[in-house]
Amino acid sequence: MTLPGFVIRNAFRNKRRALLSTLSVAASLFLLVTLQTFQREFTLPPSDIGASLRIAVRNKVSLGVPLPVRQRPIVEGIPGIAGVTPFTYFGGRFRDEAYTPFAQFAVDPVAFTNVFVDARTPPDQLAAWMQDRRSCIVGKVTLERYGLKIGDKLKLIGTFYPVDLDLNIAGYYSGTPDDRSVFFHHKHLDEMLGGGKTVGTWWVRAASAEAAPGIISALNAAFANTSAEVRAETESAFQMGFVSMWGNIKLLIGSISSVVVFTLLLVAVSTMSMAIRERFRELAILKAIGYRRRELFSFILAESFGLAMVGALVGAGGAYLAFSFIDLPKLTGGMLRQFEVTDRILAMAFTIAAVLGVVAAIPPALAVARTSVVDGLKTLD
Amino acid sequence: MALPLKYNIRNVLVRWRSTVTTVLGIALVVAVYVLMQAMAAGIEKSGANTGSPDNLILVRKGSTSESSSLVTREQLRSLVYSPEIARNTAGEPLVTADVLVLLNLPRRDGAGEANVTLRGVSPRGREMRGQVRLMEGRWFEPGHREVVVSQRLAARFAGFELGGTFKSGPATYRVVGHSDCGKSAFDSEIWMDVDEVCAIFDREQYSSFLVRPTNPAAATNLMQRLDLDKRLQLQARVESQYYSEQTGTAKPIQWLGNFLAVSMSVGAIFAAMNTMYAAIGSRTREIGTLRVLGFRRRTVVASFLLEGAFLASLGGILGSLLSLVMNGYAVGTLNFATFSESVFEFRITPYLMLKGVIFSIVVGLVGSLLPAVRASRLPVISALKSL
Repeated sequence: MTLPGFVIRNAFRNKRRALLSTLSVAASLFLLVTLQTFQREFTLPPSDIGASLRIAVRNKVSLGVPLPVRQRPIVEGIPGIAGVTPFTYFGGRFRDEAYTPFAQFAVDPVAFTNVFVDARTPPDQLAAWMQDRRSCIVGKVTLERYGLKIGDKLKLIGTFYPVDLDLNIAGYYSGTPDDRSVFFHHKHLDEMLGGGKTVGTWWVRAASAEAAPGIISALNAAFANTSAEVRAETESAFQMGFVSMWGNIKLLIGSISSVVVFTLLLVAVSTMSMAIRERFRELAILKAIGYRRRELFSFILAESFGLAMVGALVGAGGAYLAFSFIDLPKLTGGMLRQFEVTDRILAMAFTIAAVLGVVAAIPPALAVARTSVVDGLKTLD
Repeated sequence: MALPLKYNIRNVLVRWRSTVTTVLGIALVVAVYVLMQAMAAGIEKSGANTGSPDNLILVRKGSTSESSSLVTREQLRSLVYSPEIARNTAGEPLVTADVLVLLNLPRRDGAGEANVTLRGVSPRGREMRGQVRLMEGRWFEPGHREVVVSQRLAARFAGFELGGTFKSGPATYRVVGHSDCGKSAFDSEIWMDVDEVCAIFDREQYSSFLVRPTNPAAATNLMQRLDLDKRLQLQARVESQYYSEQTGTAKPIQWLGNFLAVSMSVGAIFAAMNTMYAAIGSRTREIGTLRVLGFRRRTVVASFLLEGAFLASLGGILGSLLSLVMNGYAVGTLNFATFSESVFEFRITPYLMLKGVIFSIVVGLVGSLLPAVRASRLPVISALKSL
């Protein structure tokens, strides 16, 4: 019998126990991967092509306070800017759903296509949208989710604004990291409200990445000490602002993850100790016929490491497969956008499993090393 | 005849090494479970605690939150002298208008920024909300950029200490008082004089009205009247009810808690099974002896189930006690309804702790069922022969 054969036979000689320990490691690693993926989802910076060039301009007080429309010519006058569009969150409710899973924004269509270059719309549909002031373009995901067709009506009940919208769907767009939103004419919103003195935010595209920092400082300076001071920041910084709002939730997920890892460790150590206690006598015999402590330790280590790695394969691999094949963004109505198990998260899970396998081998190995051959042979079970 | 309980208890204690690891493992699972439920309980409590059942809150028809509602001075004027509204001792109607503005402010620990609700209130509004009490300092004075923040909020944002200042947009605010709002949603707000807020933000419209009807019948009457009134476009709700509906955030946390409990308990059940199989494996001869002595199979099953449940309940009790450390600890997160930070605390109630212990017992029972059945099925003779 070869040495690897010896280790493998030993690991599986109590098949039930091997299975149970592997499964408990797998269950915990599955949970760990899920939690980490969840956390990543909330701290996700957008990574589309336009993001590094796009700049969001909001009222310095908060996103909840609008900006005066008179700022537009000043923004447009800043050198290095390739496009500026008003961008106002409408916050409408669609059908009778308690939670509307897509946002609607009022924009300037011509400027919009210039700022959000990654949102692609077939040319004929784009032309139709530009022409009809009461029309909108709908994200492909939303269009498919509700089975809407070009030419359908889209009714939105206003919750932020005291108006309801009845828009014509002129087309769809795709190509952004999150093809869910609805965009319509800002002029239409202004008409409905009977005014048009404010916008929610301005979105700006810098002509080049080098120009972006200069534009940001120019924007911030342009409205300093006015009644509507602004805060300009890159799109990723803007999104990271939302992440910060989650407050203690991030810490919470972090602490739960560490509890999971610790529990995992306890289970693994206890299993390995049980496995070794069962064959104390055998190990004593091995010692008696001349195997060294180092070699005995490597037997135990190999077994424990192997079980932990199989657990990782089942748990982390299972999570990877599950989240790749189940369309979670669709299932949760877009609440979860990507829920992608990255290589980094997988690597972390396997590293934890590896450390686990090594650490779990130490207490039983120490027990074996400490016991003299005679005592070992005397043990009964 | 049942086996004496002492047999199982002493068995659990004699193999203390594996007992300790199993108990600790289950304790951690239970602690996480109890804490998640405690968090959901804290959120619900803060919603249920807010406002008075005697007041009605009025917002624009169709608006889903107070902060996104806009109501006008004309609406206020046509409302003030409604016959349903009670009057104070000076004979003035108990009606007030609030303005809500979201402020994006830096956190105290430097970890980014968050939205906080700034509520502009009138002296009447303070009078009508008895649950907000001043603990330190003084109330703001009209005409000054002074604010009162809750003690809980003061711990979370920069410049919120008594006498401290913070800047938002062009205005600088001075904190002149700290309040205690009885663990309500008002604990997540900054309060300021309403006219001052309107002046700073150039607001002509209010966010909501608060009225006190003379009696419940008058309240129902007013609600119905507003419902039918096409001109006023206002909807009235009982204040306490309104706020408890605004705290919908408890749902995802409860959901997350249940998901964690289920998936962690799967791991815990495997671990408990492992321990119980090992316990039975090393006692094969003992079990044979018990059977020879005349104990029935089902007695053996019951005995091992009891042992598993006892082992797990030790973990459950320990876990519940561990979670107590976090009782009263204040945390904050984004409330989707208000789009601002809502602060609440872990509320570990005896009921939740009991739930945790019951949860652990279920884990113990499920985990020891298969091992117990196996123990009872061991052939007596070969069990006796085994080493």
